[in-house]
Amino acid sequence: MAEGAGRARSGSRSKTDRLADHDAIERLADELLPALMAKLGASGLGEMEVREGRWKVRLRRPASSQEASGTSGRRSTDRPSRAQPGHAGHGHSPSAVEKHRPGREARAVSSGNGARPNDGASAPETLPAGRRTVATSPAVGIFHPRTDVRPGAWVRAGDRLGSVDVLGVPQEVVAPVDGVLGASLVESGDAVEYGQELVLIELAGVTSGGQGGGSSGAAEDA
Amino acid sequence: MFRKILIANRGEIALRIVRAARALGIEAVVAYSEADRESLPVQLADEAICVGPADARRSYLSAPAVISAAIVTGCDAVHPGYGFLSEDEGFAEVVRAHELTFIGPPPEVLERFASKEATRRLLAGHGLPMVPGSNGMLRDDGHALEEAERIGFPVLIKPSAGGGGKGMRMVRSPRELETALTIGRSEARAAFGDDSLYMEKWIEDNRHVEVQVAVDRFGHGIHLGERDCSVQRRHQKLLEEAPAPGLSPAARSELCERAIRAVVAAGYENVGTLEFLVDRDGNYYFIEINCRIQVEHPVTEALTGIDLVAMQIRIAAGEPLGIAQADVVSRGHAIEFRINAEDADADFQPQAGIVDRFLAPGGPGVRVDSHVYSGYEVPPFYDSLLAKLIVWGPDRPTAIARSRVALDELLVEGLVTNVPIHQALLANEAFLEGRMTTNLLDRVGGAAFLAAAARA
Repeated sequence: MAEGAGRARSGSRSKTDRLADHDAIERLADELLPALMAKLGASGLGEMEVREGRWKVRLRRPASSQEASGTSGRRSTDRPSRAQPGHAGHGHSPSAVEKHRPGREARAVSSGNGARPNDGASAPETLPAGRRTVATSPAVGIFHPRTDVRPGAWVRAGDRLGSVDVLGVPQEVVAPVDGVLGASLVESGDAVEYGQELVLIELAGVTSGGQGGGSSGAAEDA
Repeated sequence: MFRKILIANRGEIALRIVRAARALGIEAVVAYSEADRESLPVQLADEAICVGPADARRSYLSAPAVISAAIVTGCDAVHPGYGFLSEDEGFAEVVRAHELTFIGPPPEVLERFASKEATRRLLAGHGLPMVPGSNGMLRDDGHALEEAERIGFPVLIKPSAGGGGKGMRMVRSPRELETALTIGRSEARAAFGDDSLYMEKWIEDNRHVEVQVAVDRFGHGIHLGERDCSVQRRHQKLLEEAPAPGLSPAARSELCERAIRAVVAAGYENVGTLEFLVDRDGNYYFIEINCRIQVEHPVTEALTGIDLVAMQIRIAAGEPLGIAQADVVSRGHAIEFRINAEDADADFQPQAGIVDRFLAPGGPGVRVDSHVYSGYEVPPFYDSLLAKLIVWGPDRPTAIARSRVALDELLVEGLVTNVPIHQALLANEAFLEGRMTTNLLDRVGGAAFLAAAARA
């Protein structure tokens, strides 16, 4: 947080002003930022800025993630689901097979069910590790998200985000880390496979910088 | 006929079933574990669905995962391949409870043939000769000793469940019996979760000959000839061929006819294999039945021109066989080589890793069933079978000559394989003369066998 910077400039300001600033920063960090992070995550936009009163919040994805977007694995197209019946398979020549070998680590955040509106364009689907992660399916079955937890809500590691129904037996989908619930990558009622990416989690601990002083107070995503 | 089937297996057999389904106009969905994401059947299937992690118990052996996958992909039947859930009557029953069809014998037929001991009694009642053995399971060490002395040493201790040689022990004297029982029980418990053992007379220098059968739902059955699987290493088949070199045509057809008569009478259904031991004098004894498609089925396909996997699917769909025994015509000679990733110099340790280059041989009568391609990474979690090379010729010498050429052509770079063992076999006098017995390779030892071939 911008505690230090705030203090340096706060000499001429009253204690009430400072307390108000702290309240505002706290509100930004706790309420506005998580919601914005979720929005940015779901939108595919590269940058987002919101002004409110004296404060301005700008969120930006690192440039590297934009470059990486083209490499999102072909897995996005061969996720089996009811939405894609009769998927016609892939190239049958050995060379085609070789070309299509995405590295295991390079599997991108993606969905085969068309749940994301901006899929396919320049949507930056990968973020560097540590910014965003994803809750995956524990089993093959039908996905049902929790309806009482909406994108933008804080979740803790281990929190239940929904379930995958395996022959009538629900298997829990849990948040792998603390963070902010992002977009759902599949619809409720969709067929999902083991390990399929289901719900984005924007990682907690992303800092927001708040600056005191009325002139150009900007809280930026570091 | 089915519209869409789920293939609950991996490797070459998953690909083999994809091909059979396609040829029948059925959509093929491959259920795979995370370790097989890049495998060829997954890439060539109409659809693929990940059912669990690399650990087979949570993927290929998980009935809920497999059945859930079949349901969510809209399949109407499940093909279990071989191994994994292929002979699990409990699984077949759950499949049916979910209104899917198990491609194999119906659950009640699987159950009837689940116990090897009960199967031997059943088929003995229908005229098949049995190896002299214990009356039922061995109750304890004392009972085992009594039975061994009645049958006469040497004897073979075998687990009631399972196969693949696990838990089997040959015992030459009463002194060795107690240790063999202890080891046999613990191996059987570990491998099959069931430590009941039985005992058979050990038949020295035996051959392993099996009969391929197919029976439809209407009780119409045919045999598709026999296969000789005597080339084994530690009870694992290495090479199979047909017709069986050690039997006369008359003996072969008598064996096959007795086999099909017995299983039809016993109520078997779908494709299956009856295994027999053949002793030095040509006497044969029934050992067990395999209620599934077998690894070596292409040998029979090469001779008869019949697609056994397609036949298995059609029978499961309730169709009649559509052919009579007289329509099954066997031509020439075929040999199958199991190409395994294993290192003969390191006690046949299975190898895992990337296959840098893979080139399958070709030419008249040459078929390769394999899930391997250049750049494919063999995962360390499953069996070491990389490919099956099946070579047909109008006669055995031609098949052998073509096999030599094909084995020389076959290229597998990046992993050590057992190709040198096969090449050594094709230079071995006992093999060339058709005198291989199941114990020959182990008696000589793999390394010594290779060294002898190098000197020749």
